[in-house]
Amino acid sequence: MAEQFEPRIVAFLCKWCSSAGSDLAGVSRMQYPPNVIPITVMCSGSVSPLYIFDAFNKGADGVLVSGCHPGDCHYIKGNYYARRRIAIVKKLLDFIGLEPERFQMSWVSAAEGKKYTQIISDFVEELKPLGPQTKLRRNI
Amino acid sequence: MVNVEDLRKEAKRILKEGKVKYVIGYERGQNGLMPKPAFIKDPEDVDRLIWNPTCVHNLTKFLVDEKKRKAGEKKPDERPVGIVVKGCDSRAIIVLLQEKYINREDVHILGISCEQTGVIDEKKLANKLKGKKAENIELDEKGNFVISVQGGTIKVPAEELLAERCLECRANYPVVYDLLLGDKTKKKVEEPFKSLEKMESLSEKERWAFWTEQLAKCIRCYACRSVCPMCYCDECVVDTINFAVTADTTASEKAGKIKWVEKSPVPSENFVYHMVRAMHLAGRCIDCGECERVCPLDIPLRFLNKKLEKEAKELFGYDAGFDPDEPSLVSSFKDEDPEDFIR
Amino acid sequence: MKKKTGVFVCHCGINIAGTVDVKKVAGDLAKHDGVDVSEDYVYMCSDPGQNMIIESIKENKLDNVVVACCSPTLHETTFRNAAKAAGINDFQCEIANIREQCSWVHKDMDKGTAKATKITKSAVEKVRQNEALEPISIPVTRRALVIGGGIAGIQAALDIANTGYEVILVERNPSIGGHMIQLSETFPTLDCSQCILSPKMVEVSKHPKIKLMTYSEVQEISGYVGNFNVKILQKPTYVDPDKCTLCDECTKVCPVVMTNEFDMGLTGRKAIYIPFPQAIPATYALDIRGCPGLVPIACGKCADVCEPEAIDYDMKAEIIEEEVGSIIVATGYDLYEKENLSEYGYGKYTDVLDGLQFERLCSASGPTQGKVLRPSDHKEPKEVVFIQCAGSRDPELHCAYCSKICCMYTAKHAMLYKHHVPDGQAYIFYIDIRSGGKGYEEFVQRAVEEDGVVYLRGKVAKVFEDKGKIKVWGVDTLAGKDIEIDADMVVLATAMRPSEGASELVKKLKIAMDKDGFLAEAHPKLRPVESVTSGMFLAGAAQAPKDIPEAVAQASGAAAKAISILSQERLFHSPMVAKVSLNLCTGCGMCVEVCPYDALSLKDGKVEVNEVLCEGCGTCQATCLRAAINVKNTTPSQVHEMIRASLGG
Repeated sequence: MAEQFEPRIVAFLCKWCSSAGSDLAGVSRMQYPPNVIPITVMCSGSVSPLYIFDAFNKGADGVLVSGCHPGDCHYIKGNYYARRRIAIVKKLLDFIGLEPERFQMSWVSAAEGKKYTQIISDFVEELKPLGPQTKLRRNI
Repeated sequence: MVNVEDLRKEAKRILKEGKVKYVIGYERGQNGLMPKPAFIKDPEDVDRLIWNPTCVHNLTKFLVDEKKRKAGEKKPDERPVGIVVKGCDSRAIIVLLQEKYINREDVHILGISCEQTGVIDEKKLANKLKGKKAENIELDEKGNFVISVQGGTIKVPAEELLAERCLECRANYPVVYDLLLGDKTKKKVEEPFKSLEKMESLSEKERWAFWTEQLAKCIRCYACRSVCPMCYCDECVVDTINFAVTADTTASEKAGKIKWVEKSPVPSENFVYHMVRAMHLAGRCIDCGECERVCPLDIPLRFLNKKLEKEAKELFGYDAGFDPDEPSLVSSFKDEDPEDFIR
Repeated sequence: MKKKTGVFVCHCGINIAGTVDVKKVAGDLAKHDGVDVSEDYVYMCSDPGQNMIIESIKENKLDNVVVACCSPTLHETTFRNAAKAAGINDFQCEIANIREQCSWVHKDMDKGTAKATKITKSAVEKVRQNEALEPISIPVTRRALVIGGGIAGIQAALDIANTGYEVILVERNPSIGGHMIQLSETFPTLDCSQCILSPKMVEVSKHPKIKLMTYSEVQEISGYVGNFNVKILQKPTYVDPDKCTLCDECTKVCPVVMTNEFDMGLTGRKAIYIPFPQAIPATYALDIRGCPGLVPIACGKCADVCEPEAIDYDMKAEIIEEEVGSIIVATGYDLYEKENLSEYGYGKYTDVLDGLQFERLCSASGPTQGKVLRPSDHKEPKEVVFIQCAGSRDPELHCAYCSKICCMYTAKHAMLYKHHVPDGQAYIFYIDIRSGGKGYEEFVQRAVEEDGVVYLRGKVAKVFEDKGKIKVWGVDTLAGKDIEIDADMVVLATAMRPSEGASELVKKLKIAMDKDGFLAEAHPKLRPVESVTSGMFLAGAAQAPKDIPEAVAQASGAAAKAISILSQERLFHSPMVAKVSLNLCTGCGMCVEVCPYDALSLKDGKVEVNEVLCEGCGTCQATCLRAAINVKNTTPSQVHEMIRASLGG
């Protein structure tokens, strides 16, 4: 029997809110699928479109960018720049025909361990029917 | 109506008075109807300058070359460069000014209004000519292009021959200029993003199939990058060959070369290259269409940039190349920027 | 020379080892390219654990270490200090979080182990490109600025000044005192507000270390923690406080009557006035908004009668520059605007008051000398309706938040009313009663039991005037019936909102606001008095609605935080700051535009980083099209390698 497809997700989490939120999920022993590898960055505003393309290029089945809620950015407004930048990346990925489910953005505060858990669980469930992401995966 | 003699007169004057180093414009090409860029230093040569609907090139790319050349000179000639621009090209100047790449005093802008038409699409023209050789092309007063061919003329309604971008043009006369030739009546464009509609109506699978087919063709000749006035980085993220090692370059910088994209022209890498390019042009591309025109594989590159231009306008109310003083698309935000896509 | 990396995997008892096969993680890492040592231990953070790392660094001459353990928020400092003790730079140590982000959230041992391995490999790739960095040292100006002269600002200023550091206290009104000085009595002790506040105000005015600047506003702030430059606009009062003898002759001749803000509009005052008898500084001010003209020909009556010649119509606004090391923002609150609460007849009927107006009515120094009388006809009201949550807890129409102090002050109001009018009846409409606080619940019970206040659980639907009465239609949801009261007076517990002008000040200070416009703290639980900008602290109702003891406590907390900066000769700033590759920078200035801290500027066509201002957020890095600006130790090159490692290849 073929093994069930387990999507590989790269999650760029801002240090102050989303990474802290995922820590809270841990402290609260909430359970979510182990498909996501978190990469903590200082701010969602520091996530370059290159990171996202690179993750897909290196074979990610899904990519998540998560930052502080608007108004709560540790760096005052980094998440607002992220919101605009990510919106454009999402439109572009959609336009070239990548499944929109594969690229997500979320606001997760340091208090939202539950929300983080939910986002990851939903993300994994949404990616499973899509199968492996091969469209942008490096193939040389 | 634009009278080319007015252009020549002004070019002659500024050259004669020593106001500019040289004038960049259009002249007759050696081969067929299509013109080529002209670089005129001698006031006596101004008669070489032409203006007609075949003047497709965005000459502002040469302002970038000029800046790079000047940076390498010990005692550069600080005088401005004269340049002939259409409305779209002038928007490129605005972006270069906005990004402080050039200063306003570095250019003497000879603006030409496209009035109510624009420039032709070479491929559309070839289809109409069916192998015949065109000698001249003119617009008549009824809005038809009249093409002189051996043994007669062909009359074609303008919209059948105009470049796609001209049909969607939002700057039919220059936004910035020192001299303006031609009429300053704004052309009404009902649907500035109409060309995208067909693509957008396709399903995700169809879009993917479309782009796979198109981008698989890319031979990574980088003509799109070379012709683009916005692609002025000394070192492109996808290409480290021309990376200049200077006294400031640290060892970690030399070592830290990142292979975001492999050079091999395979679809996965071509996608990354073109997506990175589209992202880097978001809020900067002014739709001069040069990337698509020069692509030897006929990849409809303009769509990628046009799509992001549309999103910038619709999501953020941002229009590239109109105001040199406003912050760039991605270096600004509004509190009310949409976030319905965020969980 | 190839860098040598060591990996240390912690079991954390069974916290990690219970769901992650730590031996396998350590074993897999040992095979990872560039890893020289890979070990596991039951508690890495214990002394033997730390020693194991230190010894290994020395023995194996390691360049970098990765400790795979709990969240970096917990033991990053521990292990970085261990690295330092072993003789390598603290930034050569990175944490792989395999507990909070792995072992605690997954039960499947195989999958958990695989994930922990990837997380650790990712950290290895990162640490190998980390630069050794030393903290950036900056000098400190050992003075503080306190913005706002209410109880919070006063307390903060006194606390700092009493430790011997100079304080500049800026207040935009002619006197300090804030809203607290307007109150009659305070809950739950019913001691007189002015009696407990005025000694502190006097102390401020006499304190040798406090420079008091009233009628002044902060206009511009630049600089950074330890070294702020502040421009303060001092508005002219047209009265020289040194000459003024407080004889009050000027107000007698002044022909202009204006609204008295101190009495919340219940009375008038002259254009030249002293805000209230205990005002600090004790002097008069001429309100230019009402004065017919500074040209003596237009009026000039006050100057004519002023014997000491204290009035100077030529006084000009001045901009005063000050250098300070830390800043406390205590800008307080205002009441929710009248026009927003028309459903309660607020602003429409004279006898519908807000809480502060009622305070003035009860106050011995108030318009009625402490007698509770209706503003409309000066008769004693026999039935008074108090409405709680007027504008609060109403996300559809008004403010979503709870204004926190209203339950208590409404109980106090009802009680005070009963003390003034023993034969009157007080009704309180409430959603629920929030009386958490020392002695608070007992206080509410006292209002009900001793003073016979009637609490009605429910909302008021309509308030309208009818035959000299104010009809209040409401519903008692506990009894399930409609209520109609013919009231003589209605008092609204109006919502608190950030004081006017707070949002502009926030922009000048580059601190943050929450969604309601209150000042945002750096962390809701662990850093409640710090703003997001280092060196700036928050106190009082400017941060959130709070009562006096809370405002005072926060003010003292903020003062302690400010002192912790002022008490140092030099400060150290994180060296993880942006760095420009000059050969790639084209000077487009996009990074300058996005920098939240104004840390970047253009100089000779290239970007320059002010390392002290830079907080290392990296927004510039993502914005730069030419990869010309990167934050040290989180470079794109590092992220690229982390992505690769995370995806297992």
